[in-house]
Amino acid sequence: MPKDLTLGEHLRRQGISRRGFLKFCAATASMMAMPPGMIPVVAAALEKARRPSVVYLSFQECTGCLESLTRSHSPSVEGLIFDAISLDYQHTLQACAGHFAEHIREEIIKQHPGEYLVLVDGSIPLKDGGQYSTIAGMTNLAILEETAAHAAAVISIGTCASFGGIPKAHPNPTGAVPVTDIVKNKPVINVPGCPPIPTVITGVLAHYLTFGTIPELDDFGRPLAFYGDTIHDRCYRRPFYDQGKFAKTFDDEGARKGWCLFELGCKGPTTYNACATTKWNQGTSFPIESGHPCLGCSEPDFWDAGSFYEALSAPAADVSKWAGAAIAAGAVAGAGIGLKSMRKRKEAAQAHDPVTVDDLKT
Amino acid sequence: MTVSVQRGIQNLIEQIDAPVASFFTSCVHCGMCADACLFYTETEDPKYTPIHKLSLMRRVWKQEYTFWGKLFKAVGLSTPVTDDELAEWEPLVYDSCTLCGRCSLICPVGNDIVYMIRKMREGMAASGHAPRDLKGATYRAATSGSPMGVKLPALQAQMRAAEKETGLEIPMDKAGAEYMMLLSSMEIMGFPEFIGATARIFAKAGVNWTLSSEAFEATNSGIQIGSRDIAAQLVQKVVDAAEKLGVKTVISPECGHAYTALRWEGPNLIGRAYPFKVMHILEVLDQLRAEGRLQTTGTEDARLTFHDPCQLVRRGGVVEQPRNLLNMFAPNFVEMKEHGIWNWCCGGGGGVSANERAKPLRLQVFDRKKSQLNEIGVTTMVTACANCRNMLEEGLEHNSMNVEVVGLTEMLAEHLAD
Repeated sequence: MPKDLTLGEHLRRQGISRRGFLKFCAATASMMAMPPGMIPVVAAALEKARRPSVVYLSFQECTGCLESLTRSHSPSVEGLIFDAISLDYQHTLQACAGHFAEHIREEIIKQHPGEYLVLVDGSIPLKDGGQYSTIAGMTNLAILEETAAHAAAVISIGTCASFGGIPKAHPNPTGAVPVTDIVKNKPVINVPGCPPIPTVITGVLAHYLTFGTIPELDDFGRPLAFYGDTIHDRCYRRPFYDQGKFAKTFDDEGARKGWCLFELGCKGPTTYNACATTKWNQGTSFPIESGHPCLGCSEPDFWDAGSFYEALSAPAADVSKWAGAAIAAGAVAGAGIGLKSMRKRKEAAQAHDPVTVDDLKT
Repeated sequence: MTVSVQRGIQNLIEQIDAPVASFFTSCVHCGMCADACLFYTETEDPKYTPIHKLSLMRRVWKQEYTFWGKLFKAVGLSTPVTDDELAEWEPLVYDSCTLCGRCSLICPVGNDIVYMIRKMREGMAASGHAPRDLKGATYRAATSGSPMGVKLPALQAQMRAAEKETGLEIPMDKAGAEYMMLLSSMEIMGFPEFIGATARIFAKAGVNWTLSSEAFEATNSGIQIGSRDIAAQLVQKVVDAAEKLGVKTVISPECGHAYTALRWEGPNLIGRAYPFKVMHILEVLDQLRAEGRLQTTGTEDARLTFHDPCQLVRRGGVVEQPRNLLNMFAPNFVEMKEHGIWNWCCGGGGGVSANERAKPLRLQVFDRKKSQLNEIGVTTMVTACANCRNMLEEGLEHNSMNVEVVGLTEMLAEHLAD
């Protein structure tokens, strides 16, 4: 792929019409919550963007994130914009293998220092010297440190790269950590989800191509444009929650009528993601729409946050044993303190020395 | 034992009960009470924020009753209340609080701030930090029975004058009467027409009433200065007299705090229930009206308004009664914008009017009443508290305003049907 072509030129060579391109720009602008006036700006910027080199590193992962990105949306225009960045290194997609493949990665670091983007998929094992995941004889840690050192920015794709994900779940046998634990001196954008929504991944890339900046992030490093609202706040079943109508089992009347899945363990109220608005499979539906509660996969440690089918208001651990004792102890302590205060007041009252007229002589 | 800081703190420890502890715990420091207070709104000085007036009591509560407070005190990280601090707070607790209770009403977490000010005054009085004039008034009340030093012969002279004017007998020490009427010194000396007016109304309504030579004073300086010992002594006097005469009801005259003292604080002060009822004169009059025993004639044509005494509306719930009575004969009765339970205090309640040092401040905060009156443009203001009346007259005169202040009972007596 010739790298000196602009994105616009490249897309037309690929047979993408101007109309198709503008549709993508409009979708991107609206997804990033930009006003319609921004669409031409997005189009102009993307049109002229030089395709940056992208190194896509895969560590302790299941390739689900890549599946989400490439397969489920191929051959939509989202897939093509991915093609239109210069994806120079990706194990699953690249044609070459072995030393030649690794050579490409090294060449990019040498030729475009400070310009290329690093996408990371999967967590990094640190335990026992990081030996649990190696590529071409190098540990994931060494590859990430070497590649990220000269990158423009790092984008963590998926919950494993963002927060450690399932490899980091208890008991975390490989000592897995997220990218942010390793890369400290570069901007890191977290795009969590298990997997993340494809259009969210391309949307973050489009933002970078359009503005050349890192989008506004929340406390967990997630782009606010996509992770600004909870699933619950945007859920089409929210009115049932407000009315107190809940499905109690997966086959009761409430489930059939499409009532709120809160009591079946839906993590929508505490999960920030765009599923309820952007949806999956080209906008077909999302888990709650197909009758299953949200697992909260875009939140840190979602795998260890109790059962997927336990309501949020229920305690994650069995507290019944010690809760009673704690309450009793609290009550006894409270009563003790109360009695002590009462005694103090009573003693003060007993020691009361009445104010008499003699005290008032001026 | 003489008054001292230790005695003051000891008194505060005694006063901090469960409500006070829960109030201090629930205070969210929102400062809404500032805007409810006349002394803040008219001066905009933050030191007049009601809850700030309780800072010393709050510190005593923390140091004596909370875990962290006790710990900090033990390791010397918080200092005990000092005599200088009590002296600094004295004007805040006495001169700039009329115990009007507007702050208690506005508090979003329901803290009864005025209840705490009343308690804080106990500590202030026991530590010797009460205003000189209040000490004097309380001394006179405890020794002679009246804060103004009014003795029985003075009352008898006013009774004779009223008998002459009305041609009616003013009953004294009549055993078995249904009602025992109390008076305030202010009425006896400043507004004696109240005695004649009451006699005329009661004669028309056929009320069997009496005065008592042993307890004719309704006011209670012990409440204002914050000494429950003296307050109890003054209440006991009234209770003894009422029990001796065997009356069914004791009537509090046109006075605000006298009603609060006798009706709400009294039984708690003497530690037992009364065998009689306590009613404000307005409650009695409205009851007579409801029973059809009160007929009026003619109308009062002046454009007039009613100034609600704080203790009657906010502490006592007497809101409708004066309006029912005024509607009998006053077609041009208009309300001030804030009235009823939201009325603004005259500025002289809670012992402030008896405190000469507070005079410049109380005249400054009278601006609120002045602007309330200017908004509605009335020529007459009716009220039902001799202390309010005195303060209102002082404020109106200071501002050269031409508004007449009248007691409701007197105005009603002028319109009795023959």
